[in-house]
Amino acid sequence: MNVQFKKGVLELCVLVLLDKKDRYGYELVQKISNQIEISEGTVYPLLRRLTKEEYFTTYLQESSEGPSRKYYKLTDKGREYLHELVEEWKQFSNGVNQLIKEGVNID
Amino acid sequence: MTKEQFLKQLNSSLNRLSFDERQDILQDYEEHFSIGLEEGKTEEQIAASLGSPNQIAKELLAEYHLEKVETSANAANIIRAVWAAIGLGFFNLVIVLGPFIGLVGVVFAGWAAGIAFICTPLLVLISAVIHLSSFKFFDLFFSLALCGSGLFIIIGMFFATKWITKGFIRYLKFNATLVKGGLKRD
Repeated sequence: MNVQFKKGVLELCVLVLLDKKDRYGYELVQKISNQIEISEGTVYPLLRRLTKEEYFTTYLQESSEGPSRKYYKLTDKGREYLHELVEEWKQFSNGVNQLIKEGVNID
Repeated sequence: MTKEQFLKQLNSSLNRLSFDERQDILQDYEEHFSIGLEEGKTEEQIAASLGSPNQIAKELLAEYHLEKVETSANAANIIRAVWAAIGLGFFNLVIVLGPFIGLVGVVFAGWAAGIAFICTPLLVLISAVIHLSSFKFFDLFFSLALCGSGLFIIIGMFFATKWITKGFIRYLKFNATLVKGGLKRD
């Protein structure tokens, strides 16, 4: 898949995953890579950027199994942005699906 | 690649960033490795699915440079950004407008010369009507010769204009991709 396209989608995926609950980096990476083929390492730069843009805040929390983990929490600004992106995605995917439906003859 | 190799490579690719920032970034990957190891994966497996440290560093550095321009609005950065914008403008002014004016000049001159040549017999006749005494056969024949060559020039210009227009449009497209390509982030 096109790299730029994937990056945009990745942003949406991360925001969606954080909508319901706070998660740590590894968890986010696994959740996404279970569904989409990605270079897992590229998620962290994305998380840093979105944090700097104040869509997330981060906090450290001890874990029972090992060192403390960095959790990401969606801010109000982030949630607003998520809704925008979801809306855009819906329009976009509806449009593409419509074109596919019109253009492809599946026997 | 082991965890150590991965982190080392990432660290050295990020040497333009501040120490604190680098530590912060490496921390994220260390955490990733340690959770992966807890889940029973090997360091090699984790490193492989993370992807190339160089690629990750590239992304982080691109982010860093953009941010530097956006956030630290000191005089040097502003001047640099403005200069870049003006530079791009000048570049296009010289590279596009220059040849454009030149080509328009050539095309215009060609058509003007052709039309003027074709009109010469008419001018000789007009002059003969006004001053009958000034009429010379040499003028008439010379003007007819000019008229003939004028026709050839016009025919030539017709094709030349077509080619030049086509060529210039191709050049503009090339220029657009050049400028856009220079702005692409990866």
